[in-house]
Amino acid sequence: MATESAMKAPFTKYVEYLNDLNEKRERVVKASRDVTMNSKKVIFQVHRMSKYNKEEVLQKAEKDLAAVTNQYMSRLVKELQGTDFWKLRRAYSPGIQEYVEAATFCGFCKNGTLLTLDEINNTLLPLSDPSLQPLQINILDYLLGLADLTGELMRLAIGRISDGELEFAQKICRFARDIYRELTLVVPHMDDSHDMKTKMEIMLQSVMKIENACFSVHVRGSEYIPLLGSDDPGSFLVGVADIEL
Amino acid sequence: MQFIKPAFRNACYCYYYTITRSLNPNPFILVSLPTSPFLTLQSFRPSFSTFSFFSSDVMAGGGGDNSVPPLSHSLEKQFDAFRSQLEESGTLRERIRNVVSEIESATRLMYASLLLVHQSRPTPELLEKAKSQIGVLKEKYKQLAEILGGCPGQYYRYHGDWRSETQSVVSLLTFMHWLETGSLLEHKEAEEKLGLNSSEFGLDVEDYLIGVCFMSNELPRYVVNQVTAGDYDCPRKVLKFLTDLHAAFRMLNLRNDFLRKKFDGMKYDLRRVEEVYYDVKIRGLTPNGEPVGNQGVEA
Repeated sequence: MATESAMKAPFTKYVEYLNDLNEKRERVVKASRDVTMNSKKVIFQVHRMSKYNKEEVLQKAEKDLAAVTNQYMSRLVKELQGTDFWKLRRAYSPGIQEYVEAATFCGFCKNGTLLTLDEINNTLLPLSDPSLQPLQINILDYLLGLADLTGELMRLAIGRISDGELEFAQKICRFARDIYRELTLVVPHMDDSHDMKTKMEIMLQSVMKIENACFSVHVRGSEYIPLLGSDDPGSFLVGVADIEL
Repeated sequence: MQFIKPAFRNACYCYYYTITRSLNPNPFILVSLPTSPFLTLQSFRPSFSTFSFFSSDVMAGGGGDNSVPPLSHSLEKQFDAFRSQLEESGTLRERIRNVVSEIESATRLMYASLLLVHQSRPTPELLEKAKSQIGVLKEKYKQLAEILGGCPGQYYRYHGDWRSETQSVVSLLTFMHWLETGSLLEHKEAEEKLGLNSSEFGLDVEDYLIGVCFMSNELPRYVVNQVTAGDYDCPRKVLKFLTDLHAAFRMLNLRNDFLRKKFDGMKYDLRRVEEVYYDVKIRGLTPNGEPVGNQGVEA
């Protein structure tokens, strides 16, 4: 009995520690899930863009993104103080990645450039009062989020092509390529590069899909032309003669 | 002649489509057209300029590499910064791993000394030898704390690098402590032994608990060998300790993680010790090495 009671006291402390930790983790996971869900909505909103309603769609997307920041990201701030930021990274990383994806996606559609980590982190600064450490996304989650961005860019490019916005599609193509190229140099230095390596493969596929789509339009643009360059020029001339009438 | 007209309509459609929907035609038109009879048709001339406007764009986009889009520069700058930051943390990790591998070899020496316990060597002597490594460990953990001193709050970023080694250290420390005192080394005591404090470089509670589970894995073997060597009171003591330990662990609300798995394993240690205790008891073997009852029957 003596050992049992002697053991109980310290274990009560461990119980408390584990309970607190698990509850906190649970809260972080929930917040992360909300961030994920609502960031996905922002991404969908951006995809609703068409040639004519760009401004208005992007404005709504930005508003939604700001709401994600203020309502859901803010919940993470006080949970991730001190060492908890890295300790609970697994719990919040998926949400942050999705958030980065949404933010950079919006940013690209609006400005045509990559929203940098510093820019994103600056928008997070106002979330915390001065007594708390501000929540600052780490490089790893930013890069993981960027890797996912290419998938969305691919969808966007396909959408733009079917909408006839070829220039935009090509811009997307260049952008996705740039990101892929830059990431290849960074990936080997990442902490747990395993996750990232699979993402890189998917990324390359997305980039190639965009390229192939651009290629198809490019080639098909000329598909109308075979009539012009067909080996029966006479018939074509006859056709043209018609137009002169 | 009849079939030509629809073909032409297509061509015409293509032409209008191109202009109105700004679908980019192939830049090759520019190359191929002059050689085609089409060239002679002045009426189509104006459209060429439209084509060429779009096609140059296609060249830039499709070809890509011959033009440097303005966004590349800032992009590159950010990624260069990332790379150097990540390289830095890579170097840090390298340093951590070097220290951890030294921790590991010190732990191995400790473990090797402690293994003699199964060969019934006098415990104080081998404990002395094992303890000599604690100083080394203390020094190494101090080095780890120093390495991490430069990046506050990042203990858990690199935690994985010393996690399992630290768990082994804890298991040995608690085993030694139990051999000496028969009681469980507390988390705080373990931290003190290693010269750690939670304000800079602490001992993670989960690592401590997992270490204790590892220590429990060692007990069945210990009991078996002690009994073989004639210590018939050992199973009772171990059983008591392990039962209490198991009861204490049951207080924890565990998640489905490694600690949970280790805790689930503990009941097998407990069962094994119970079996040994039963075997000894049923045969009436007494603590002083003399079987109770009729020795003749046993022989």
